[in-house]
Amino acid sequence: MSSVLIKNESRLGLKLVAPAVGIIGLLVIYPILFNIYLSFFDVQLNGTKTFVGMENYTDLLGNPRYFHSIGVSVIYLIGTVVGTTVLGLAAAILMNQEFRFRNLARGLILLPYFAPVISVVFGWQFIFDPVNGIYNHVVVDVLHLTDTRENLIGNPDSALFVVILFDIWKHFPIAYLLFLAKLQSVPKDLYEAAAIDGQNAWGRFWHVTLPELRFVIATVVLLRIIWNLNRFEDVYLLAPNVETLPIFTYYQAFAGIVDQGVAAAISVIQLLVLVGLIWLYVRKVLKW
Amino acid sequence: MMNKRSTTQSVILYTLVLALVIFCVFPFLQILSTSLKHPIDWGNPSLIPRVLHLDAYKELLGLMPPKEADVPASVQRLLDNPALSAEKKQMLLDKFSSGGDVFPFGRYMLNTFVISFVTGICSTFLASLAAYAIARLRFPAQSLMANGVLFVYMVGGVLLMVPLYQMSVNVGLASSATGTIFSLFLIYLIQTLPVAMYMLGNYFRTIPFSLEEAAMMDGCSRVEAFWRIIMPLSKPMLFTVFIYCFVIAWNEYLFASVFLKQYQDFQTLPLALQTLFTSKNAIWDRIMAASMLTLLPVVICFMLANKHLSGGLTDGGVKG
Repeated sequence: MSSVLIKNESRLGLKLVAPAVGIIGLLVIYPILFNIYLSFFDVQLNGTKTFVGMENYTDLLGNPRYFHSIGVSVIYLIGTVVGTTVLGLAAAILMNQEFRFRNLARGLILLPYFAPVISVVFGWQFIFDPVNGIYNHVVVDVLHLTDTRENLIGNPDSALFVVILFDIWKHFPIAYLLFLAKLQSVPKDLYEAAAIDGQNAWGRFWHVTLPELRFVIATVVLLRIIWNLNRFEDVYLLAPNVETLPIFTYYQAFAGIVDQGVAAAISVIQLLVLVGLIWLYVRKVLKW
Repeated sequence: MMNKRSTTQSVILYTLVLALVIFCVFPFLQILSTSLKHPIDWGNPSLIPRVLHLDAYKELLGLMPPKEADVPASVQRLLDNPALSAEKKQMLLDKFSSGGDVFPFGRYMLNTFVISFVTGICSTFLASLAAYAIARLRFPAQSLMANGVLFVYMVGGVLLMVPLYQMSVNVGLASSATGTIFSLFLIYLIQTLPVAMYMLGNYFRTIPFSLEEAAMMDGCSRVEAFWRIIMPLSKPMLFTVFIYCFVIAWNEYLFASVFLKQYQDFQTLPLALQTLFTSKNAIWDRIMAASMLTLLPVVICFMLANKHLSGGLTDGGVKG
């Protein structure tokens, strides 16, 4: 290609990416930097700022609520990452079998992932509603496990588990899709060879399926951690009393005694963790 | 596959599939069922309503006849008095009716639709330009941008809410309704742009380059080749990406709650539903009917886009 063509091409390329990259730069890159700047100030909702140095950070490190929310986030992350991965894998193996109505079943199990959070949380709240909910009906009236109807979502400790279950329900389909795509490309003769070697179903899973899926499993786990570290809506809308890190940040920034500087400081720390994870993802997983 | 299954194996397989499907679908059935139940029927654990009760839907969609005011007999006599002017009668009636109680569902739906639609169109358009450049053209800093896009996408709204809010306050956008909506639109744009770019970039790469080459030999410029060849060929994928962006905006709660709290007329459905739920007690039928109506457009969209979507989603870093 002549140099004029190359020059034209790169000029056109820059022109085409300019709007998108400009907007992303202005509204993502700049805010990230601005956030670091804000974390050294006392910031009010109306925009008033007073410089406080490292005070936001020292306050944060002396705040038991902060460490509590980290603890809640860790439990949430472990529960949801393990749950979605295991259920996603199980669902993928199941849906990879041949049976009647398979397409229908495949479509139906994607529903939770597609549905808007705001609508499905109400369904979940109704299920666990202490007065009308089916959960209390089954536990108390049918199985007689306890005598009293409990408000599982009202109590932050039990609500954490409802929130984890909800997240697994909502997000295992995406893990399932990733696993299924990979499963379909596992060569059948691998299974046949293992069968000839006398492996039963469990052995075939252990010696063929798992090693073949190793890479996808790592991808799913990493992606779940990245997305769930920032997960706000699914938790807040279902049980605002479960204080994971993003929800703690939200309360600091927009509710009660507003302290946006502290919220900025939390975000900065969280961003550092996230950047590490994303770096891992981009380097190890992504082929753009 | 290991060919023939024994009966036991079949039974186990179908039981597991059924259990999984029920687990996935049950909350939806619960929503549908409760939206159709009369309040006295809520405690009934069966999913089938004893009587079909459509009032919640009628009310939300504005099909309910204006409520008959509950007027005491003494006042009714006053109203029947022909000497009283019509204006006075109306004033009296207003005192006894609960007109301010209506939840303007249609308005919220329209708000949400408009902002989601505009976001979807703009995002898909800008992303298609950028994705084409990244997939096909060579220019400085290309791979940096390609990697940067997803990196940026994963940063997530929670980490940006404080600086973005402060920026809009500093620029003065947060002080007017128009400015607020514009800020929100820009925010939805950045929440959808990176993933749209990623999905489209992967798709453009699957189109053989020879098609553009042929067009350019026929005298098309690069830009014309893009418009006349690539874009029409990508229609199904563009539609899928549009739907995906539309749904992200349709579902968004965090920034809507931060920016629109004091502009009640411009609230979107997620925010309005949450407010409705927390402000009033025991209106399950209306909440569930509203959920159903919020859910439906999304499910329809995804059914339309499903074919390409499943492929697009498995390609990688899609939000979820």
